[in-house]
Amino acid sequence: MRPLLAGLLILLAAASATAQPRTVEVRVPRTFGYFLGDLVEAIVEVETEPGFTIQAASLPQPGPVTYWLDLRRVETETAGTRHRLHLTYQTFYAAIDARTLEVPGFPLVLTSADTHGATTAPIQVPAWNLGVSPIREVQPARRADPAEYLRPDGQGPRLDPAPPRTAALALAALALPALLLLARDRAWWPFRPRPARAFAEAARRLRSLARQPDSEAGYREGLLALHRGLDAKAGSRLLADDLDAFLGRHPAYRPQADNLARFFAASRLAFFGNAVAEARCRMPLAEAEATARQLAVAERAA
Amino acid sequence: MNDIRRGDAMLTDWRAAARRFEAALAGAVLGQEAVIRLVTIAVFARGHVLLEGDVGVGKTTLLRAVARAMGGAYERVEGTVDMMPTDLVYHTYLGEDGRPRIEPGPVLAASEDLAIFFFNEINRARPQVHALLLRLMAERSLTAFNREYRFPLLQVFADRNRVEREETFELPAAARDRFLMEIGMEAPRDAATRRALAFDPRFHDTDRLVAGIETGILDPAALAGIAAAIQHGVRASEAIETYVVALWEALVRPHAAGIRLPGIDDMAGLVQGGASPRGVAALVRAARVRAWLEERDWLVPEDIRAVFAPVMAHRVFLEPIHEMGRAEIVPALCRALFETVPAP
Repeated sequence: MRPLLAGLLILLAAASATAQPRTVEVRVPRTFGYFLGDLVEAIVEVETEPGFTIQAASLPQPGPVTYWLDLRRVETETAGTRHRLHLTYQTFYAAIDARTLEVPGFPLVLTSADTHGATTAPIQVPAWNLGVSPIREVQPARRADPAEYLRPDGQGPRLDPAPPRTAALALAALALPALLLLARDRAWWPFRPRPARAFAEAARRLRSLARQPDSEAGYREGLLALHRGLDAKAGSRLLADDLDAFLGRHPAYRPQADNLARFFAASRLAFFGNAVAEARCRMPLAEAEATARQLAVAERAA
Repeated sequence: MNDIRRGDAMLTDWRAAARRFEAALAGAVLGQEAVIRLVTIAVFARGHVLLEGDVGVGKTTLLRAVARAMGGAYERVEGTVDMMPTDLVYHTYLGEDGRPRIEPGPVLAASEDLAIFFFNEINRARPQVHALLLRLMAERSLTAFNREYRFPLLQVFADRNRVEREETFELPAAARDRFLMEIGMEAPRDAATRRALAFDPRFHDTDRLVAGIETGILDPAALAGIAAAIQHGVRASEAIETYVVALWEALVRPHAAGIRLPGIDDMAGLVQGGASPRGVAALVRAARVRAWLEERDWLVPEDIRAVFAPVMAHRVFLEPIHEMGRAEIVPALCRALFETVPAP
């Protein structure tokens, strides 16, 4: 009979404890060494049964707590059954010696809202102690030179300059040719903008066309290649009637005047006269290629 | 085969006549070979011509010379601010018996044989008169005295003073588009020519100068036929067709063709329109005549280039902000076109 009674008592005790918080704890970074005006960060941790939260109305209001202590800020944070209050106090106690003061505790109300109604449980946050100190002049040993109050710098480790220096030199050695390449590409000093080798390009195209099997399309393409070369050299589209003016502006190509005149006549026939056969008879592709090659040679010399 | 050869022979004969025509004009109007060539092209393309130029460079003399050298019925009016369309069509006066009379005016006087209608100072006439010209030029017909008059041989020559803007009326776009060519005329630069023009008494009396020109070189009645023969006789290859279409596209959208003109930031909005299909058709017509005059029966890009500016420049309409500067912008645009668009 007696063990049964004891078990019943334990059960009752457990049932009554369900509404009770498991723990209430006040944590402060340090409880001593505060001066007038310091902010004191205190954390109140409340571990509750599942479903319980802190009633917002029961939280302490920011404002004066005692004549020497203000509560500045209250923040709550909840993670599962752990509730955390961040309290920021500020002390205005002008201590004349180091002493311990008591920060008063305060009550909180835990609530659990379910379908049957709200269950509330009051808990008490305990008072805790705060050590305050007077603001006093520090009195180190007297020194003649005020600079000597400064403590010497700590010794840093000695670094080896050799590897970074080697790397810097190697990279500089790499950067120089890269800069040269860039300068050449952008035609910076000492490189000058190179005149485009228009005829060299045309001659190359004609040479590759001459290797291909003979066809009307290939012939027209060859003429076009030389036309594009002449256009590029003249800076505008060169028509047959402009040939004299072009040779006047670029006397280097004058030895090719006859060939160019023949080329333009053939090109006219091929493109506009619908007489490709006659054009090929007057100016075969091989001769056009030879002309382009001569022009390219003159271009390099010019 | 026989037919073609006869046509060829006819074309050759007419080419000789065209040469004589040009030579006759060049004898009277010094140092204007380029303008004379363009006028000849317009005559054989059956197109109307608007001459534009400074005062006293010989616009009127040239057109009178053209009228005389061509032969055929010729009428001339002077544009004035108070001119009304009816002044062109009807001649109203009080007869000897004091009763009002209405008789055919300048346009109708020569009836349907009218070959050349010469409108002097066209920009002095009001827009109402320009509107009358629209139909006369485009359809070569006119309604008067309750019936329709047709002028199959008609060619309109007009001239316009470029400098003066007081009391003048700008030609509407539609009227300008109906001129085949707008030819700018400058005083000759050549020193010898200038000296001759200033000191040779032959050039001081315009009436005698024009009267000295051989007349009736071209038969207006046969011109329509020969113009059609030229248009059929001169071939255009596929390459030239591509070229003309590329030029047209580049003229309408110079920005897309990669053309940049100095001083113009918004190339994309520069050309507002106006390069019409009628204009491009006129371009090809004039180019064919030029090829024929150069003794070719196929078109080359040079033919297009030679007539492009006179035929197309006045048909291009620019953004209003650039319209005042069109005298510089449009020629620069035409030049840039031929420098950019590849020919073959």
